[in-house]
Amino acid sequence: MTARRDVRVTVNGRAYTRNVEPRMLLVDFLRHECGLTGTHVGCAHGVCGACTILLDDVSIRSCLAFAVQAEGKEITTVEGLADGESPNALQRAFHENHALQCGYCTPGFLMSLTEFLRETPDPNEAQIRERLSGNLCRCTGYANIVRAVRAAARRPRDEDCAP
Amino acid sequence: MSARGDDGGAGTWVGRPVPRKEDPRLLRGIGTYIDDVPEPRGTLHLAVLRSPYAHARIGAVDASEAEALEGVVAVVTGADIADLIPPFTADYERPGFKVSRRSVLATDKARFVGDGVALILAENAYVAEDALGLVLVDYEQLPAVSDIEDALKPDAPRVHEELADNVLVEGGHGTEGFNEVFEAADHVLRERFRVNRVAGVAMEPRGCLAVYEKSDDAVTLWTGTQVPHMLRVGIARCLGWPESRVRVVAPDVGGGFGPKMYLYPEELLAVAMAREYRCPVKWIEDRLEDFLTTLQARDHVYEVAVAFDGDGVVKAVSVDALVNSGAYSTYPMGVGLEPFQGPLNMPGPYRFRQFAFTCKGIATNTCSTGAYRGVSAPGVAMAMEGMMDRVARRLGLDRVEVRRRNLVGPDEFPYVNVVDQLYVTGSYVECMNRALEMVDYEGYLAARPPERLVDGKYRGIGVAVVTELGGQGAARYKARGLSDLPGFDTARVELGPDGRVLATTSFSSQGQGHETVFAQIVADELGVPVDDVTVRGGDTGASPFGTGTFASRGAVVGGGAVMRASGELREKVRRFAAHLLEASPDDIVLEGGHAHVRGVRQMRIGFRDVARAAHGLTESMQLPEGEEFGLEAAATYDPEASSVSNACHIACVGVDAATGLVEVERYIVVHDCGRVVNPLLVKGQIQGGVAQGLGQVLFEEILYDAEGQMLSGTLMDYMVPTALDVPTLEMEHVESPATDNIGGFKGAGEGGVIGALPAVACAVGDALAPLGANVNRLPLRPDTVLGLIEGVGA
Amino acid sequence: MKPAPFEYFAPETAEEALALLAEYGMDARPLAGGQSLVPLINMRMAQPAVLVDLNHCCELAYLREEEKMLVSGPMTRQRELEISNTVRAHCPLIAEAVPHMGHATIRNRGTVGGSLSHADPSAELPGVAVALDAEMVADGPNGRRTVPATEFFLAELTTALEPDEVLREIRFPKAPSGSRAAFAEVGSHFGGLALVGVAARVDLDSAGRCAAVALAAIGAGERPARLSSAETVLMGEVLGEQVIAEASEAAVIDVDPLADLHATAHWRRRAVVAMTARALREIADGGEGVAEVRR
Repeated sequence: MTARRDVRVTVNGRAYTRNVEPRMLLVDFLRHECGLTGTHVGCAHGVCGACTILLDDVSIRSCLAFAVQAEGKEITTVEGLADGESPNALQRAFHENHALQCGYCTPGFLMSLTEFLRETPDPNEAQIRERLSGNLCRCTGYANIVRAVRAAARRPRDEDCAP
Repeated sequence: MSARGDDGGAGTWVGRPVPRKEDPRLLRGIGTYIDDVPEPRGTLHLAVLRSPYAHARIGAVDASEAEALEGVVAVVTGADIADLIPPFTADYERPGFKVSRRSVLATDKARFVGDGVALILAENAYVAEDALGLVLVDYEQLPAVSDIEDALKPDAPRVHEELADNVLVEGGHGTEGFNEVFEAADHVLRERFRVNRVAGVAMEPRGCLAVYEKSDDAVTLWTGTQVPHMLRVGIARCLGWPESRVRVVAPDVGGGFGPKMYLYPEELLAVAMAREYRCPVKWIEDRLEDFLTTLQARDHVYEVAVAFDGDGVVKAVSVDALVNSGAYSTYPMGVGLEPFQGPLNMPGPYRFRQFAFTCKGIATNTCSTGAYRGVSAPGVAMAMEGMMDRVARRLGLDRVEVRRRNLVGPDEFPYVNVVDQLYVTGSYVECMNRALEMVDYEGYLAARPPERLVDGKYRGIGVAVVTELGGQGAARYKARGLSDLPGFDTARVELGPDGRVLATTSFSSQGQGHETVFAQIVADELGVPVDDVTVRGGDTGASPFGTGTFASRGAVVGGGAVMRASGELREKVRRFAAHLLEASPDDIVLEGGHAHVRGVRQMRIGFRDVARAAHGLTESMQLPEGEEFGLEAAATYDPEASSVSNACHIACVGVDAATGLVEVERYIVVHDCGRVVNPLLVKGQIQGGVAQGLGQVLFEEILYDAEGQMLSGTLMDYMVPTALDVPTLEMEHVESPATDNIGGFKGAGEGGVIGALPAVACAVGDALAPLGANVNRLPLRPDTVLGLIEGVGA
Repeated sequence: MKPAPFEYFAPETAEEALALLAEYGMDARPLAGGQSLVPLINMRMAQPAVLVDLNHCCELAYLREEEKMLVSGPMTRQRELEISNTVRAHCPLIAEAVPHMGHATIRNRGTVGGSLSHADPSAELPGVAVALDAEMVADGPNGRRTVPATEFFLAELTTALEPDEVLREIRFPKAPSGSRAAFAEVGSHFGGLALVGVAARVDLDSAGRCAAVALAAIGAGERPARLSSAETVLMGEVLGEQVIAEASEAAVIDVDPLADLHATAHWRRRAVVAMTARALREIADGGEGVAEVRR
């Protein structure tokens, strides 16, 4: 057993301090220490993208980082996207376009796309598909996710997808 | 007379693209998948020590170092629990079947890489995994066999020593007069098709949490399953417990696709350990374990022969199917599923009247195999459609014309096919015609140069006409001798005192959208807005008994049960409303959450007031004579016959001449699943199914080496389709409602995969036809395809 | 798939990091972006007793232009290369290659030094480094030394770095103006891992003849291969279909691929030919185009 360390992070605007082993993966920290189970583990080897979060506003795979590495940082997870009960533009577009089935991969898609739409507000289909190719979905066949991204991108500015 | 509105009863909700009721929680990250279920205090984490050898006798197990590790509560071996959990099996002694038994932890020998040998109970998952590395097992490695045909050799290693050979099941049948017709035919073509072993790869791996309920001496098992009721039956039976002691709950499940309709050793272990140690026990599968141990599928060989006349009319078909069954038979489907479902799906939409088949399910030192979306139908559809193309090429006919001459025509329904499957309605020719129009088939062929090479790519088109068997009921399962699959399903629908509806079904969902689809059906039957309907299921403690979610049976059987129960409740609501409105029940119309007297809309009462009266929440007694309190109805549904959906899939591919990489450039589907409940969801099922099929045709493959070591055990080595692989489908529906089931629905869950294998494989075959390439094995990875282009293996 | 226990250090300077690596020797591994190392740790295929996290060493993350060189720190994120105008202006081959590396979310975290030190034979950046004759600056207890990229990659997952050394800086020669670059790769499917790729840089003289050529292949052997024979074919020639075909066929002379789960050795050789041709055609068509989407 190695020396545990304090990890202080802000997740979705709320501060958390937990004492954990250095080996604890960031995704396990979020899920089991912070109780934010919206971020999912699909492969734990960095391929599927289900665990994607924003770390200081940059999308990363939280299965490929240790909780101790997030010390002092700001994290946004899927739970931080909606404004209370009301979904944001991207979430609404997913709903309206049936862009999810089992929903397990969905939080990873939403987080990756949140960053994508911030950087590429008016993407073409090739750009959308290139971005989506970093996340695996086994249910939808992606077509409706592409539609949802287009729909979200078309929303007026005041409905921006940024969290 | 209709009770569903003055317009004559057309569905207000069924048929509409209603966005899903399950989405908001899933989009906000507040769904509850198995690893999200709150862990009760003191939960122990279970980890399974798995055999690194495909075939090995298990000697001494030294767990002392693991037991000494801080945080480890127990190390348990197969021998320790042999009495607690007896070996389980799904098959019974009957002709053609050999019974193989599986110990939840191997006691004598391990039979595949991943077979459980011991388990750890520890305070957290990290420590549990630490302990796995400290258990020393004395393995005596035995010769192993992973390939089907190797396993059939007389000197092959025996997976189950107590059995005479590795053939776990065999069967066959031929129509009367087959040989005469076959031999008399003008032409015979033979081909051998090799279908690739694949994995379901649900994005959520398996997992379970068994919670010991002290006061009841019972265990609640939360588990990511498609069949909670079947699991309870199986667990209670295996452990010898009364069923009252087991409750199975399926929370949100992150994808099923078939492999999650089985009882797995880890579920039995978690339940038994929870009671043994009197504490909650949790097991969460990781992706590596998923590849090693979650059921796989479609490791098949089909030897096909087709006899036909000079016009391309098929007279007789034979198929000999070999299926890799893996190490053990599986509960509840048993070992016969894939071997028999191959041949029985072979005739598909075609009209030939002579058919002969044999099939074998063969044990090997690999992971068990079983149901995966479409079961064997995608592979045999590829074989059948591949033969249709070969017939066309042999005779110099157009492939569409050959199909046209063999398809069951629009005026031939109801039709009973050569294996006695009833097609009550269908649109085989109609769907094909429409799909050809959409793709501009003639234009496509005309625009293509004879060598088919455009911009460095060989262009090919594949046309597949397929059927999809769904909605099977008791008769079908009993005919297959499946004792532990009831076949019917159940719904209970209640109008609560607040006037809102709760429907509870024997189904559980892995993404299909039952909460929405069933609500649409209820809403139409009862005349309430869909938002007033809540649908629940997946909890044996709260939902009525039934079969569960697989084989495209949700809308047909589950929807049928919901419809029947809602219909009964509707009549009860009308009687109560009639009483309150002082009218005749026959004159009561239910609409928009109100009851009114036909033609007199101002004489109306809200469901809430009806419901309060029916629940005794009124100042005075308002119970109609002869009625009981409460507004609820329960009904089962067991469709007499299977429903048969159909579709035409057309794929246009470009095969890179330099690399062999296949790109699917266009993909058209015209699909008929009878009456459509929710077109948004049906389209989603088809798009998703095609994606899985496309993955199987082009690159997915589970590979074992000759020693039974898995070579494709990560998502880097087992590739699933990305957004760059799958085009957006061009899709249309045709509706030929089923006339032999209550809702007119047919299944839609599997057709996408079934059509994709033949459509894409035939398209690649077409692209490379001028080169004489023979496309008869999957997957069509770039190196395989380049070999075909270069004439290697043609 | 939970990591084995390890000691964790998060030094804030390169000096501290090197001291820790020296102290723990073979037991320690430096942790850069973690996009290759952490999967191995999660699978317990790597079980370092000590992890020295370089992510707090701000001085190791930089991108700088010198007179003849574009200089990157090892902890510079791959994403920085992707969005840098300096990179596009002076090392267009890097700009062409980076969009092929992993996925956006991986590039956000993955580092220049991490990818190069990991030395995956099918990784893009090592191929680029070999094509461009990059200089790899190693730092360790015995001081700094510079290793040419062609001598840096020894075998699969093996570099010339000693266990107590880290990659301290990567120096890419700047391309002359008019230099054209392309990167082409192919996998078993679209959007997945690359199996074979070719990095190409061609400097054309005023007559449109190849004045300098740099070609390297990835995924066709245990390390990136410089395609010298193909380069020789191209020198002094105008990039026409005939010469491209000849050079592409010559590319196989310098590769020695092995068969694996994903592809036969023969296919990898043919893929080298195909990717060489694709990259050269792209260059002939104007080169240095926008990074094209992989489909």
